Amino acid sequence: MIHGRLDYRHRRRIYFLLAGNLLLLGLIRVLLKEGSSFAEVLRRAGPDVAPVILAGLAMTSVIFVGAIDLSVASIIAVAGSAFGVLVHHDQPPWICYFACLAAAWVLSMWNGYLIRTLKIPAIIVTLAGLPFYRGLALIVADLGIPDFGGNISVYDAAYHQPGKFYAGWILLATIIAALIWEAFGRTPRQWLARGNSEEACRLLGMKPERILQSAFCAAGIFLGFAALIAVTRLQAIEPGRMLVGFELHIVGAVVLGGTNIFGGEGSFGGTILGAFFLYFISQALTYAGASAYFQEAITGAVILAVIGLDCAIHRRQKQLDELA
Amino acid sequence: MARALLQLDGVEKAFGGVQALKQTDLEVDEGEVVGLIGENGAGKSTLVKLISGVHQPDRGTIYWLGKRLRVMSPHHATQAGIATIHQELAFFGTLSVAENLLMAESWPRTFWGGTDWRALFHEARNRLSHFDLKIDPEKRFDSLSSAEKQEVAIARALSQDARLLILDEPTASLSEQEVSRLFDHLKRLRNARVAIIYVSHRLDELKQLSDRVVVLRDGECVASYRTQETDVNRMVRDMVGRPLEQVYPRGRTTAPGRPVLELEAATRRPLFHDVSFTLRTGEIVGLAGLVGAGRSELARAIFGLYPITSGQMLLFGKGWAPRGADEAVRAGLVYIPEERKRQGLVMDHSVRDAISIGISDRLTRWGIIPPKRELERVQAAMGRYGIRARSPDDPIGTLSGGNQQKTLIARWLDRAPQVIILDEPTRGVDIGAKAEIHRLIDELAQQGKAILLISSDLPEILGMSDRLLVMYDGTVVSELTGERMTQENVLLAASGMSLNTSSPIHQ
Repeated sequence: MIHGRLDYRHRRRIYFLLAGNLLLLGLIRVLLKEGSSFAEVLRRAGPDVAPVILAGLAMTSVIFVGAIDLSVASIIAVAGSAFGVLVHHDQPPWICYFACLAAAWVLSMWNGYLIRTLKIPAIIVTLAGLPFYRGLALIVADLGIPDFGGNISVYDAAYHQPGKFYAGWILLATIIAALIWEAFGRTPRQWLARGNSEEACRLLGMKPERILQSAFCAAGIFLGFAALIAVTRLQAIEPGRMLVGFELHIVGAVVLGGTNIFGGEGSFGGTILGAFFLYFISQALTYAGASAYFQEAITGAVILAVIGLDCAIHRRQKQLDELA
Repeated sequence: MARALLQLDGVEKAFGGVQALKQTDLEVDEGEVVGLIGENGAGKSTLVKLISGVHQPDRGTIYWLGKRLRVMSPHHATQAGIATIHQELAFFGTLSVAENLLMAESWPRTFWGGTDWRALFHEARNRLSHFDLKIDPEKRFDSLSSAEKQEVAIARALSQDARLLILDEPTASLSEQEVSRLFDHLKRLRNARVAIIYVSHRLDELKQLSDRVVVLRDGECVASYRTQETDVNRMVRDMVGRPLEQVYPRGRTTAPGRPVLELEAATRRPLFHDVSFTLRTGEIVGLAGLVGAGRSELARAIFGLYPITSGQMLLFGKGWAPRGADEAVRAGLVYIPEERKRQGLVMDHSVRDAISIGISDRLTRWGIIPPKRELERVQAAMGRYGIRARSPDDPIGTLSGGNQQKTLIARWLDRAPQVIILDEPTRGVDIGAKAEIHRLIDELAQQGKAILLISSDLPEILGMSDRLLVMYDGTVVSELTGERMTQENVLLAASGMSLNTSSPIHQ
């Protein structure tokens, strides 16, 4: 957006998603039944969509460098377990919050470290991480709580601050920070550079491994906030079942936002709008009275349709680009 | 007296069990242009990578300005003043030109810490204008032409006060005109006392540009002489280790036969328009022109990758409007693309897979390819086309460029096609393999195949073709035959200038 750094493809996708979001909001407004307030729908949107956007920003960062992280939901589960165990042992809220953030960050860094040192593709390392961290979450809960029966209850309102009262604000602050960073920071451009060509980075004397690690570091921070909000909204944390399938929903939002899944191009802004778009679709479907079964299928179809339409319109341009 | 800038003393490097470089000495003086030649696999790229810090030598010493230098990384080499432009351009396609130029340096910042984009683009514009380049630094790098990309590479390499510039095959994807622009830049650098190591397969270029030529063969430095005191034949002899005739083969004796491919005002704007010509059996027609003139685009349309929008094409006398490449292959028309790495081959596949994929439908019995039959056919093809690999199961990526190209040709030719379109068949191929490919093309014409040859290598296209069509700005502007087939005429026509001696096909 600054000095044309976002090229026309991404700008087009962003306008498209903006228009789509407004259209969906209009539709929700029309579908709204007597007695429900539209302002309430808007007010709730931020907190509801916050975990998706924050985890989406994490995913966008690692996809920028040409990696991917399929273990995000399991990492959040570990963060949830750590949080729950500390709550169970009556630790003060700030320690529990910190543990939640730290767990997510450490595991994200660990993913980056494994990919970097084992030289195994990120998709494989994190695919293995998916069940591994899920198991870890259960082990942590089981070891930390004497008679752990599958879920950890958190009743005290003091532990629900970030998720229930500040989620919208945390989201807003993170979005602003991410957009400013994207517009003026150098690091995201280095991520994109590595996503374009690791070899080129090496030949230029940049350190591709370090760049990869920095993306997982930033992703860990975003993921920490996502975990914090996701976990502190719950009365009962179920480490074994929470957010199953969440990672693909996030990849959907990222790709919908115009980020190339193979790395090297994309934008935080697109991811944010993509996440809202998916959220408003599910809301619109709910208000239209569609069943949950339909909602899942329609969400998938929409991702395909939006991206397919975008590609179809510009296939000719792409063809010419390839010839050039 | 110029002093030695770079000195290599007994440098060695092995990869796995393969000795890529044996006991090599090299000296480069200030302001000197050293041409580095050798067949593919002779060790040129290894030598370049040792000097530029990508690899470290196993043995031997590198001296820089008389002092011992250990280049541990590309960054280190750049700092010392050694700039390298690698064969595969190291760029970030989706980022802007400015970011590509300055990615490895520190960026200007605003007072509150963010990137100062305005200053960044300004800096990039300055660097580009230093080389008289009028490229918009805000443009996406992908959208530049090959020549512009090359120029940005030079601007980047030299932006940090480099004293030695290494270019590895810089002209492989440039047209003649773009090459001469590159040479202007290089000559200016030489005058500014920058030393240049220039790796190339094109000996005529080295003749023009270099002060001294160093020949590598099988990882050893076998000869070094002043360019003025030598001739192309001697360079070739030293490179291959045996005398090699530089003449283009012409075994075909019969006159061209019946027409097999006819185009009448074939048009697909903006790629090409109003192209008409006839291709007959047993003839080689050259399609010359600058990069971007529409040659490959035309070839791809004939091959059915996209339809023409007006005009007509005839194949074997019947209307030809293929819906896809498979139809073309079945009809007996094959296209061997210019960028073999991107368009033709999967680098991890074995030679066997790469060849048999072209004939698999003919080998298949009940949906299964009989391994024995496949191997026989593949080995036969490897023998016939002189593909040098240790075994058919070697990955394509480990073969030299020439052998990759031969594999690609073998894939299709086993189907016995009647019309063959070859797009830059010898680009990036060493001189020995080049001669073999030329002989192969000639043999095919002898067998009565019709061949459309696209090449930016002027001597090659002049030497191989029976007739020459020259394209400019999307259309054929001139047809050259017999004595009118000269470098000058091709260059004039290809740059859109009128030719007195030629007969334009289109007014």
